[in-house]
Amino acid sequence: MNVLIIEDEKALAVELEIFLTNYNYICEVCFTGAAASEKIGVNLYDFILIDLGLPDYDGLELLKEAKKNNPEAICMILTARAEVYDRIKGLDLGADDYLPKPFSLLELQSRMQAITRRKFGLKQNLVDLGGFLINLTDRTISYYNTEISTITKKEFDLIAYLILHKNRTLTRSQLSEHIWGSIINDDYDSNYIDAHIKNIRKKLNVHASPDWLETVRGLGYKIKINN
Amino acid sequence: MRLRTKLTLFNTLSKLVIVTIFVLLLPVLIQNINKIYADNRLHKDEEKVLQTVKDQGIKSYIQNGESYGSYTPIKDVYVSLDEDTLAENLDTIQNEPRKVEGDTILYRILSHNFAVKKKNYLLEIGISLDSINETSRPLQSIAFMILVGMIVLTVLADQIYSTYVLGPLGQIIKTKLIGNKFPNFGSYQKVKTSTSDFEYLDISIHKMIKTIENTFQKEREFISNASHELMTPISILQSKIENMFERDDIVDELKTRLLEMQKILNRLKNITKTLLLISQIENEQFLKEDKISLSLLLGEVYDEISIRLQDKNISYEAYIPEEWLLVNVNKFLLFNLFFNLINNAIKYNHENGGIKVVATRENNVFIISIIDTGIGISAEELPYIFNRFKKFRQSMQQDSFGLGLPIVKSIAAFHQIKIEVISEKDKGSTFKLILPDFLIEI
Repeated sequence: MNVLIIEDEKALAVELEIFLTNYNYICEVCFTGAAASEKIGVNLYDFILIDLGLPDYDGLELLKEAKKNNPEAICMILTARAEVYDRIKGLDLGADDYLPKPFSLLELQSRMQAITRRKFGLKQNLVDLGGFLINLTDRTISYYNTEISTITKKEFDLIAYLILHKNRTLTRSQLSEHIWGSIINDDYDSNYIDAHIKNIRKKLNVHASPDWLETVRGLGYKIKINN
Repeated sequence: MRLRTKLTLFNTLSKLVIVTIFVLLLPVLIQNINKIYADNRLHKDEEKVLQTVKDQGIKSYIQNGESYGSYTPIKDVYVSLDEDTLAENLDTIQNEPRKVEGDTILYRILSHNFAVKKKNYLLEIGISLDSINETSRPLQSIAFMILVGMIVLTVLADQIYSTYVLGPLGQIIKTKLIGNKFPNFGSYQKVKTSTSDFEYLDISIHKMIKTIENTFQKEREFISNASHELMTPISILQSKIENMFERDDIVDELKTRLLEMQKILNRLKNITKTLLLISQIENEQFLKEDKISLSLLLGEVYDEISIRLQDKNISYEAYIPEEWLLVNVNKFLLFNLFFNLINNAIKYNHENGGIKVVATRENNVFIISIIDTGIGISAEELPYIFNRFKKFRQSMQQDSFGLGLPIVKSIAAFHQIKIEVISEKDKGSTFKLILPDFLIEI
């Protein structure tokens, strides 16, 4: 899939490019609004990531141009100014999603994937892990037709996020940002992820040992899926 | 006591004291005036008699050695002239009694002796004391009445004038000091006054308020701008760390260190986000249009926080009437308010402790209490718990940066919710949220 990254902070644009390329996206980067405007007029993209805080261009104008020339493209807004992002929410200018800075790259990728899935109507999204059938659409886990209803919403969020980034080690910080990111509180670092993982293992162990849910010593957790 | 009352009181009292002294002195004064007046009259009469003697000789009064005496019908004045045996010179005025036709009357008597043809004569002229003093009573009462009238009039005039002249001061106090709620001062309205002192006071207060407002505004803007500006560099660092973490050529030992960097960056991110949130609340950038059931909201908080309760084996009980609806609120903010309060109740609790959330109603006041069995807050720390970055010895052991309660305070103030904290060291704390009736629908 083609991604246009419009971001005037070069260091950030480069990291976005590296990360998304790693996830098999084909990336183009623009550091200015003018350059982006030109590219939007000429090429077609699947994703357009727009930073609103461009020095030479009104990001919202760029969004309009993108919607006009690239109606099929998925537009995501990245912004450091939260009140502007509230405004977009209110104005509904056609952005498919918005991410306030600072965001985790994993979060960006999972949002992109979620939108793709929604857009292309991929209904059944099932993952088989050693007998456990995980339905990411209905948000259920079952073991040979027995639904495991004890899994809570938070626990499922964790499993789904680990599956989305399968075979990669996710740190506790990344996981807690995903499931508690919107809560403003004054903890340095919450290690409640461990408690959640412990609970998940306990609940799954009733049926079979979830070997696929690995603890990476000192680093974090990962779910191993062999393709 | 108010300034006007004090002035009126002082005016009235001082006038009363002066008048009382004057009224007490009045009889003595009048008596003295009367005496001087009577003495003058006596001297004039004496001169007349002596002139007659000089002009017409003693014979016009005394013939054949018989003494002369004369008095008015009501005996208030008398004159007597007699041969005198005393050789010394006598010229006095004294009060003495005289017997006139059987009545003993007190007179003021002028006695004067003189010689005519080697014979001594004694002249006495007397005016009765009663007739001298007969004017003093009416004089006294007239003077008294005039004085009382003057007091009443001047006190009234003082009152009216001080009301007029102190009016602007009252207005300054009412509109600039009492009515103003810190730090929202509203617009400036000049107080009308011709008194330069009050004008100066009004302008000075206005300038001070402006200075405070500007400082507040600057602080808010600074925090808002600073936290916004920090977001982008934090975002870059976070992306760099995440990308490095994914690389296979980086050994685990380095990854552990990247993880530590990530943790620290998270801390910076949380502080910045929290400060930004507080400044956004204070700049009123949130809407208050949500409607949500209180028990539902607390249920959502519980879902997020139950893992922390479990971790410390803390019991949680909520007594919330199902029908309580929060209205005119911002759900996101209230969620964070309850989350932080309950999170604190967990953080500063003992293992196997307890937390209770109780909703009660007293007339039109709705109270939500969060009661914990934790370590409590000492009396000397209690006034400072809502200050930003204020950390106490006990909270040092906790992983917090001292912004939990400031968020709570900002959100509560934004919704006009009052917070009362009751706490006893080692016994636990109760945070009472007092909600105005327009936030609750039943």
